[in-house]
Amino acid sequence: MTETLVPEAEHPSSRRWLGLSVLLVPLLIAGLVFWWGFNRSQPHQFSGSVIQGLSAAPDFTLSSDRGPVSLSDYAGRIVMIYFGYTFCPDVCPTTLADAAAAIDSLSDDDAEDVQLIFVTIDPARDTADRLGEYVRHFDDRFVGLTGTEEEIGSVATLYGIYYRAGEGSEATGYLMEHTATLLVIDQAGNLKIVIPFGVESDAIASDLEYMLR
Amino acid sequence: MKVTWVWSIAALALVAAACGGGADIEVADAWGRPSPSVAANGAFYMVITNNTDSADHLVAASSPACAVAELHESMMNDGVMGMAPVGPAGIEIPANSQTTLKVGGLHVMCIDKQAEFVAGDTFSVTLEFENAGTVDVEAEIKEG
Repeated sequence: MTETLVPEAEHPSSRRWLGLSVLLVPLLIAGLVFWWGFNRSQPHQFSGSVIQGLSAAPDFTLSSDRGPVSLSDYAGRIVMIYFGYTFCPDVCPTTLADAAAAIDSLSDDDAEDVQLIFVTIDPARDTADRLGEYVRHFDDRFVGLTGTEEEIGSVATLYGIYYRAGEGSEATGYLMEHTATLLVIDQAGNLKIVIPFGVESDAIASDLEYMLR
Repeated sequence: MKVTWVWSIAALALVAAACGGGADIEVADAWGRPSPSVAANGAFYMVITNNTDSADHLVAASSPACAVAELHESMMNDGVMGMAPVGPAGIEIPANSQTTLKVGGLHVMCIDKQAEFVAGDTFSVTLEFENAGTVDVEAEIKEG
């Protein structure tokens, strides 16, 4: 051990550094090139569950404060659908604010190719007027839809959304329990991604950008 | 050598105690999201620190911004999001620890908002703790 250390200590330190650089610099460059190529070849990581294969999003028509709206009105665009209720103080406004921020971060042209539809699961309290004012607070382009209990129920079933009125307090009255996912339909009209609650706007924006490319 | 160590630690402890602010309960980053007047309810979030050696509980809240304020928790059960008032014990702030009221979790639910929540506005919120008593905070309205 000491035998090997002694001769090495006698080397001028500059020569040691030179040797090290000759070895390390090409390695560093190779690493950077590899990392760059690797990143470019990586498939996009969606922020939610990706629906494999083609799953045509069923059409529906419900009411907004500006008249009836059908999913097919937005054919050729990306449509995000969220089922919620205006009485909801926490989860629903957070999702709408995140979706709005994601769309906002796109270029104006791209943003025009994305439509968000908010469907109430609480039609007893959410009138079309209330919904319209509520969703446009988050983004002027958002659409809020309501209908009869039966109409809402059948649209929710088509999209695998569960909801029911749960217990609240004396002050709140009933509170809704609901599937709080953000559904993303691609430009071809297929259900593409199911984004769980809690995904931040950057990740949503990255999915939209990928789909718009 | 050993004696010096002891003195150093004692001095450090004194400094830490002096800088710690001393308040039994400290509340930071109280905020709420902007929402239009048509949204009946809102939520306030915050970080609550308990500087004492015994657990405390947030048992009630009130604010001039809300007809009624309640302590609620959003939670996911089998993929379904629900929300309910917390139990009668309130929200525990463990000894020498923090509890965060945050989006998708514990929050002060502001029922029947008395004003539109506009970014930049602040509303006072009065928190009532089992041990520490009443603590007033200012909640700022802001995006996330």
